[in-house]
Amino acid sequence: MAPPEDSSQPRLATGCRWGGTEQDRMVLFPEGAIRLQGTGLQILERCDGQRTFGQIIEELQAQFSVADPAKVRADISQFLEQLQHKRIVDY
Amino acid sequence: MIPNPLALIAEITHRCPLHCVYCSNPLELAAASSELSTGKWVDIFQQAANLGMLHAHFTGGEPLARPDLAELMAGARAAGLYTNLITSGVGLGEARLQALVDAGLDHIQISFQDSRDEAANWIAGAKAHAHKIELSRIIRRHKIAFTVNLVIHRQNIDHLEEMIAFIEQLAPERMEIAHTQYYGWALKNRAALLPTRAQLEKAVETVTAAQKRLAGQIRIDSVVPDYYARFPKACMGGWGRRLMLINPSGKVLPCHAAEVIPGLEFENVREQSLEFIWQRSSSFQRFRGEAWMPEPCRTCERRAEDFGGCRCQALLLAGNAAATDPACSLAPDHHIVEAAVAQANSGAAVAQPVSASSFTQLEQFAGELWSYRTNPE
Repeated sequence: MAPPEDSSQPRLATGCRWGGTEQDRMVLFPEGAIRLQGTGLQILERCDGQRTFGQIIEELQAQFSVADPAKVRADISQFLEQLQHKRIVDY
Repeated sequence: MIPNPLALIAEITHRCPLHCVYCSNPLELAAASSELSTGKWVDIFQQAANLGMLHAHFTGGEPLARPDLAELMAGARAAGLYTNLITSGVGLGEARLQALVDAGLDHIQISFQDSRDEAANWIAGAKAHAHKIELSRIIRRHKIAFTVNLVIHRQNIDHLEEMIAFIEQLAPERMEIAHTQYYGWALKNRAALLPTRAQLEKAVETVTAAQKRLAGQIRIDSVVPDYYARFPKACMGGWGRRLMLINPSGKVLPCHAAEVIPGLEFENVREQSLEFIWQRSSSFQRFRGEAWMPEPCRTCERRAEDFGGCRCQALLLAGNAAATDPACSLAPDHHIVEAAVAQANSGAAVAQPVSASSFTQLEQFAGELWSYRTNPE
């Protein structure tokens, strides 16, 4: 499988869902959970099946405007591809 | 400070329609009449969530043997737990699955039982084979996660490639390839189940190729049998560190085989709270931390990774639950495992397996299969 394309609409994979508390947000999946903080949380909160990968990138590039936009794109792409391989995210 | 437990293994019944030779359940089973009530289980799930647990794993026996399974599922889900049903799938059809999904089922894990005959049967298209395919289609119509668990051993490991190809058609998100672990019936049948080194090496190659081919489509988790590993498995993620298991009659155990260890007394959830048992019970404290460790564990740099291995295996093989797991290449008793491995590789004729009388279910929560992660690096 390839990294997401700009038109992809990333979302949590079937059977994976949000859990934990407001202060301690987690994604629950069959064999465990990921505790999300910082940028990881900001990315996954936007993976709602509505936003496209392109939109997510734009939003986060705007938010992290001091960072190199190409680096932001590459990091988000790699993060989502890793989660896709773990079958936690689909796109 | 004792960290929170992360998951509850709810062994809701020991009843099961199957008789697997590799069954790792206790040889002494709880009778149906002593099973906990629906209401007690619902209370337990709330206690578990209050303690910080995230997952409830429904297992047995065959959990489908409990007619109130959907109610139990709803109780766990209402408490906020992620629900996982570990089942043989035998007898599960559309209506019951729908009821379980409506009750809050998040994930279903179907195991394959395969003695050599059955394995041949399902590859050749027998009844069980047809049922698995049909059940998988039904599962895929629901928004739940689906894992296929395959237990492999000396008798079926040679056609692993075909088994992976078959599972691929069922379209799960996950595939677990678990080597038999040698407890209960599997230990009695070890000579017939332990693969040869050549078989194992070929299986590792097969799995690696399948992982590459199916990347992004099916996640494959695989565990090498600890008899062939250099270091022991971090059994249950460490004694009293992550998991609590409640057996059908309400006994609370650090792992499902712990009752074999002499001198340990286990509390019952009918009499004590889960919190008390987790924090204070002597059974959960017995092998928690490092104070109990003998050498070479006590000064080993891996002691916080594998926790000295499995206490039950130490007892079963070395006769001492407080010994280093003989699966460890550094263990004083490692010669015991070496002898079993030597026998498996000697080419001597191997006895046919003895069949268990009334139950099944190999559980696989140890080591790599159970890991809580922070953001992946």
